[in-house]
Amino acid sequence: MAAGGPSVFLLMVNGQVESAQFPEFDNLYCKYCFVYGQDWAPTAGLEEGISQITSKSRDACHALVWNFPIDITFKSTNPFGWPQIVLSVYGPDVFGNDVVRGYGAVHVPFSPGRHKRTIPMFVPESTSKLQKFTSWFMGRRPEYTDPKVVAQGEGREAQPS
Amino acid sequence: MNPREEKVKIITEEFIENDEDANVGKRKKNSKVQRQPRKKQPPTTGPDKMVSEESHLGNQQEPAQDKPQTRLLSVTARRGPRSLPPIPSASRIGFAEFSMRERMREKLQAARSKAESALLQEIPTPRPRRLRSPSVKELETEFGTESGKEVGSTQQEDDSQSYSRVKFHVSARKIKSKPQVPPGFPSAEEAYNFFTFTFDPEPEEAEEKPKHQDGTNQEEEEGEEEPPAQEGANRMDEEELPHGKDAENFLLGLDHTANEFLAVRPADYESVHVRLQREKEMLFIPSRLTVPTYKKLPENVQPRFLEDEGLYIGERPEVARTNQNIMENRLLTQEPGRRWFGDDGRILALPNPIKPFPSRPPVLTQEQSIKTELETLYKKAVKYVHRSQHMIGSGDPSGNFQLDIDISGLIFTHHPCFSREHVLAAKLAQLYDQYLARHQRNKAKFLTDKLQALRNAVQTGLNPEKPHQSLDMIQKTINEYKSEIRQTRKLRDAEQERDRTLLKTIIKVWKEMKSLREFQRFTNTPLKLVLRKEKVDQKADEEAYEAEIQAEISELLEEHTEEYEQKMEEYRTSYQQWKAWKKAQVCKHRPDQAGSGRAEEHPEEETEEPYPEEDPVKPTPPEPTDQAAIEQQVRERAAQSRRRPGEPTLLPELSLAGSVTPNDQCPRAEVWRREDVKRRSVYLKVLFNNKEVSRTVSRQLGTDFRVHFGQIFNLQIFNWPESLTLQVYETVGHSSPTLLAEVFLPIPETTVVTGRAPIEEVEFSSNQHVTLDHEGVGSGVPFSFEADGSNQLILMTSGKVSHSVAWAVGENGIPLIPPLSQQNIGFRSALKRADAISSIGTSGVTDMKKLAKWAAESKLDPNDPNNGPLMQLISVATSGESYVPDFFRLEQLQQEFNFVSDEELNRSKRFRLLHLRSQQVPEFRNYKQIPIYDREIMEKVFQDYEKRLRDRNVIETKDHIDTHRAVVAKYLQQVRESVINRFLIAKHHFLLADLVVEEEVPNISILGLNLFKLAEQKRPLRPRRKGRKKVTAQNLSDGDIKLLVNIIRAYDLPVRKPTASKFQQPSRSSRTFREKHAASPDTRSPTHSADYPLGQVLVRPFVEVSFQRTICHTTTAEGPNPSWNEELELPFRAPNGDYSTASLQSVKDVVFINIFDEVLYDVLEDDRERGNGIHTRIERHWLGCVKIPFSTIYFQARIDGTFKIDIPPVLLGYSKEQNMIIERDFDSVRSLSEGSYITLFITIEPQLVPGESVREKVTVRRHHINFWPGAVSMYVFFSFRQQFLDLLAGDEEEHAVLLCNYFLFLGKKAWLVIGNAIPEGPTAYVLTWEKSHYFIWNPCSGHFYGQFDTFCPLKNVGCLIGPDNIWFNIQQYDSPLRINFDVTKPKLWKSFFSRSLPYPGLSSIQPEELIYQNTDKVAAAELQDSRIEKILKEKIMDWRPRHLTRWNRYCTSTLRHFLPLLESSQGEDVEDEHRAELLKQLGDYRFSGFPLHMPYSELKPLIDAVYSTGVHNIDVPNVEFALAVYIHPYPKNVLSVWIYVASLIRNR
Repeated sequence: MAAGGPSVFLLMVNGQVESAQFPEFDNLYCKYCFVYGQDWAPTAGLEEGISQITSKSRDACHALVWNFPIDITFKSTNPFGWPQIVLSVYGPDVFGNDVVRGYGAVHVPFSPGRHKRTIPMFVPESTSKLQKFTSWFMGRRPEYTDPKVVAQGEGREAQPS
Repeated sequence: MNPREEKVKIITEEFIENDEDANVGKRKKNSKVQRQPRKKQPPTTGPDKMVSEESHLGNQQEPAQDKPQTRLLSVTARRGPRSLPPIPSASRIGFAEFSMRERMREKLQAARSKAESALLQEIPTPRPRRLRSPSVKELETEFGTESGKEVGSTQQEDDSQSYSRVKFHVSARKIKSKPQVPPGFPSAEEAYNFFTFTFDPEPEEAEEKPKHQDGTNQEEEEGEEEPPAQEGANRMDEEELPHGKDAENFLLGLDHTANEFLAVRPADYESVHVRLQREKEMLFIPSRLTVPTYKKLPENVQPRFLEDEGLYIGERPEVARTNQNIMENRLLTQEPGRRWFGDDGRILALPNPIKPFPSRPPVLTQEQSIKTELETLYKKAVKYVHRSQHMIGSGDPSGNFQLDIDISGLIFTHHPCFSREHVLAAKLAQLYDQYLARHQRNKAKFLTDKLQALRNAVQTGLNPEKPHQSLDMIQKTINEYKSEIRQTRKLRDAEQERDRTLLKTIIKVWKEMKSLREFQRFTNTPLKLVLRKEKVDQKADEEAYEAEIQAEISELLEEHTEEYEQKMEEYRTSYQQWKAWKKAQVCKHRPDQAGSGRAEEHPEEETEEPYPEEDPVKPTPPEPTDQAAIEQQVRERAAQSRRRPGEPTLLPELSLAGSVTPNDQCPRAEVWRREDVKRRSVYLKVLFNNKEVSRTVSRQLGTDFRVHFGQIFNLQIFNWPESLTLQVYETVGHSSPTLLAEVFLPIPETTVVTGRAPIEEVEFSSNQHVTLDHEGVGSGVPFSFEADGSNQLILMTSGKVSHSVAWAVGENGIPLIPPLSQQNIGFRSALKRADAISSIGTSGVTDMKKLAKWAAESKLDPNDPNNGPLMQLISVATSGESYVPDFFRLEQLQQEFNFVSDEELNRSKRFRLLHLRSQQVPEFRNYKQIPIYDREIMEKVFQDYEKRLRDRNVIETKDHIDTHRAVVAKYLQQVRESVINRFLIAKHHFLLADLVVEEEVPNISILGLNLFKLAEQKRPLRPRRKGRKKVTAQNLSDGDIKLLVNIIRAYDLPVRKPTASKFQQPSRSSRTFREKHAASPDTRSPTHSADYPLGQVLVRPFVEVSFQRTICHTTTAEGPNPSWNEELELPFRAPNGDYSTASLQSVKDVVFINIFDEVLYDVLEDDRERGNGIHTRIERHWLGCVKIPFSTIYFQARIDGTFKIDIPPVLLGYSKEQNMIIERDFDSVRSLSEGSYITLFITIEPQLVPGESVREKVTVRRHHINFWPGAVSMYVFFSFRQQFLDLLAGDEEEHAVLLCNYFLFLGKKAWLVIGNAIPEGPTAYVLTWEKSHYFIWNPCSGHFYGQFDTFCPLKNVGCLIGPDNIWFNIQQYDSPLRINFDVTKPKLWKSFFSRSLPYPGLSSIQPEELIYQNTDKVAAAELQDSRIEKILKEKIMDWRPRHLTRWNRYCTSTLRHFLPLLESSQGEDVEDEHRAELLKQLGDYRFSGFPLHMPYSELKPLIDAVYSTGVHNIDVPNVEFALAVYIHPYPKNVLSVWIYVASLIRNR
């Protein structure tokens, strides 16, 4: 530890959002961002990104391949608040509106090396059938105010009603 | 021993053995038996010979027979030290323990074997007996008895199961005993001869042989098996010999020639003996004899038995003794190092690894076909019922049951605080209770009645009235009756005596108590015993008494006569016997009288010889009964146990009627005692299944040592109750409670339900020892009632708890009792001994006593490591010394994870930082990147925090001039903190809308609208403004938020006035503004003047916006009505980087919009250079400012309007000038409100969602409670006026209410206006009616506006509040310009109180009058001079770090004189005088300066205001400054502050 500045440890993340399986949808693109704790700060690389639109592959597995690179370096002083990558996938609905197709989050792997993660994706549901219909009709599905909430626990605890 | 007998015995043994051979199936024997027929040699010796041999043998065996016994003795002797502790110091207890353990072990072994057999029996398939038995038998026959058995005592040898075993055992003994044969034994030679001569075909011979051979080699022993085998082989050779010779002969006969070449020699015969000798040289055959222990141990070392010392030694695997011996011998010979032997002289061995019971399924026998075994059976599916006793399964209909525990109270029967009197009282009460109980039962009476009835029965029985019954029967029944009478009488007497003694004791105790009370001269207990005498009819009583005695006497007499007769009978018989004996004695003395019968009598006689005195004495005839003696006896007894006739019956009655001596009449010690009692309180803990479930309230101990609780605990239980315990805790004063005692309550029967359960009393006692220094007798310590201290008593604390436990009854009348299935103890298997859980149930595991009992019963080896934890648990539980936690520890492994001690952890700065951050302490709430190492954390990080903690209660007067304000500031700070904390909590409560963006629930209009929208054009011609997307503040970071300030234009800015200097003054507009400006001297046209430096216009204003010390300014415009239309962008930083709503709401920063005049001065010294360059100095002069708090912007989202510029009343060098060019319509309107104005648009980009202050019902906007909610509640906040004034802080509403009240007090018509204003937002103004004009007052600033003033900040009016009603605006418009304020018109104003709801005449809860204290003028003056002025001057110097700051004292004093004038005139009409005076005094200075007028609350706003004027920014080298402060005190500590700042530049 040199005299200049406090000691930190670095976390370098290299990888890519390879592909997705959305059996019902096509022509999707994805966004990623990172959620991390107070003791973390990105030092290099992109904290957010938005991918190209991809179509389903023609083969049997019908994967949506993005191969969208991720490259970011964090510095930190505390493993608490380890970064999580938050992915959100969007695509057009029948009327051509861009709607969200899935949110998901996963911690950046804790151990060095090559890791492959499969993230289950989900979207918030409409609160009622009627709203479900209108949101489908209007092309304004319920979505999170911020995709980052999927990586945060705040406000998601069971509340005594 | 008789040799013959022995021989016979042996023969029979042999015989039997032969018989047994078939089924014993001894392999070796079998082989021999098979071999024997092949010999086909007739027995050469007859039976006689054999017998003789046997006899010979027998002779030999005789000593051998003895040997085993000696050996056995030796064995026991050797075992002696084993069974006894080897160390002589071992105490008797040790021995007892040992023997106990020994016994336990035996029992355990027996139990195990039993369990094993039980297991075996359980196994359905029969064991292959046929296969198994041979091996078993073989084992037995081969090695005599099993080593284990041999270890056992001789007793085991006796209970031989089969004869053969004994036989072999004996034979084995014989073999072993050989070496110790005494020297008189037949020599080897003899034995050899004997052997060579006799070839015995009998199997036993084969047996015998080795013995003799063994005999030959006396030193070395041989194995039992090898010699016979070899012998057999030898014999075979010998037997084959004749055959071989025959063959040889045959060969010779065939071919003689061969004979010549061959040298024929007899086959080399080596005698067995020789060969054995030779073999002995080569081979080593270890002996089978037991190796003496001393050989196996080092020299002079006593064998040490670890087991006896209490160490655990595993069970050794079973190895036959002989094998062990062989091994030992071998080891001793081969490796003399003795390292194979343990301390106890045995071979080291690991514990037996073999489980006592098989864990493998039994092997299938061949008889039973595999098929049958594998055949599947159909079993009906059984629904699995959760059998656990501990939990109630899901199958149960309702999971919760209820147990009601009613604890009604507690009575101490002894307590350390008992005085002596209390002790007696307790005793008395106890006796009395006993008496009452006895009295109620009245057993004596019952027995008396019974006696009477029996006597009657006897009487009737004796009467021969029933002739049909046989006499025998009658006699029999009468006898029975009589015996019963006897018994009953005894019982009755005993009862009566007990009654009497009880009564006597009661009286005695009472007397003692009375004497004690007299002695100590005070009374402690209200107990009072009254003996009530019940008169009895003397005569009848006497008669009854006499009759009773008579009856008894007669009965006794009868009894005695019977007895007498019986005795007489006995006497007679014995007398007869004696006579006969006498005769016999006589006969005995005669010799030769022996007969066949006599001989038999001899032994009897002999046996009785030792007791010659007994019988031979002539029996004495029993004495006849003496009636008088009996009577005497009866009467004595009656007198003792019964009430005397005529004596009144004494009925004791205990009452609490007595009075207790009051404290002041008692001695000190007693008073102390009573006080001590008062300090004590008692409570009970209710423990259910050893877990505390509830506790009673703590009740003070009463003087009578009774505590009443009367609490019912409803235990909602889930488990079947295993134990119910009450723990009595006592608290003395404030010390921690001590456990007095535990009371175990029985678990009620299932039939006991609430309401039917009786109150029961359970006694408890404690073993605590308490010695007290007052009258209290203490507990567990001896005390005495006697003066001399004799007759000591030791009483322990004890008492009774009255309670009732019952099952609750549910709503539908069903008792809430767990089903009975839960209670059954479940199955018990053969394994239950081994398995504690199945044996005593899971509950037993929690019940230590049960567990200990089980352990004792099942004879667990306490030294077995497998049982270690269990044993420790039990020992802990039963010893009771160590502390057994009776609570459940959630993180029992926490200890393992504590990598550092708590102190160390707390010392860590990093941990502290993390901790504080997670606690959301304001200083650290948004601390980023907490350093990794402690050493990287600076101490100063905590300084602020620690200082704040320290100052929390210390009032800092540095920033606050007077203490009152400091207190207020502190208070506000605390309010703010609590509000912020509440917000922080609220921040975590997200609503769905906070997280998910979703279309609202569509209604038909929205739907229709949307449908309509579908049809509308994609690109309408007239685009409409769309709302910006709001951003929730939580995800923002620094730099995301910007403040957009759009400065559009300003009106009526003051214009320069030429100072009185040698320069030509700039011309002014001819038109003056109002009268006061008319007096201004020379005015000149706004045209460019050549005289003025650089020929400037009237004014060149620009706007500078400063926010959070970021400064932006517009370009410079020209003229008093400039138009900039510029957008300024200022970054916004939230405090601590916290962009949460709460934090944003608490931002206190203010946007300062300062208007400056840019003045250019030509600094060119030399006119000649004018052509070459421009040297100008830019000066800026502050004209005025507008302050808009950030919170207003935040809440309003945007601020759009024209605001009055706060221009100081005196602006030296400037005057309000009306531009001639601007001739607008509103001039007339504006005439009412003079001043300058600026039009602004301010917003935040991106738009933030304002905080949900409504949700929390608290706003921090004005750091006060917001009373906005409704008009009705307006009445409420009248009550806060006093507080408002005291606090010197309040929001607009409070100001407005106060102002309104002033107006009303002054007799004006005034209303409170609730509406929206800019920039305040929802606020309250005051409306007054004066001279046909309505005025709207801003209560905070004190400005007033006419109703039709365009620049009135109040933009709409919601309602008016008068002193007696509230009116709601129901007009079309709400702008004050357009509405009619005539509240009498019901069409325009809807009143709250109407005819239907009349004004109820709400009384004000505020004080009628507000008291205004005069402010301390001295303090104000001190504040003015020493504090504010000094601080401000220092600040200005600080702001000018690169320049010298000179203070012009002369100017300062002038200004100081001038300020009070300003205060008195409120800035009106003083400018010119002031200017004149200044000119007079500072004629050759260019002067720019202005007074600032502010209310005083804190120092910081003053500093900010001075800073924002930018006075300090002048960097002209010879600039001088002047600063004066004046504070005008108003009552109630309201201070008005005037600050005059000026800069002076000396003109050349």
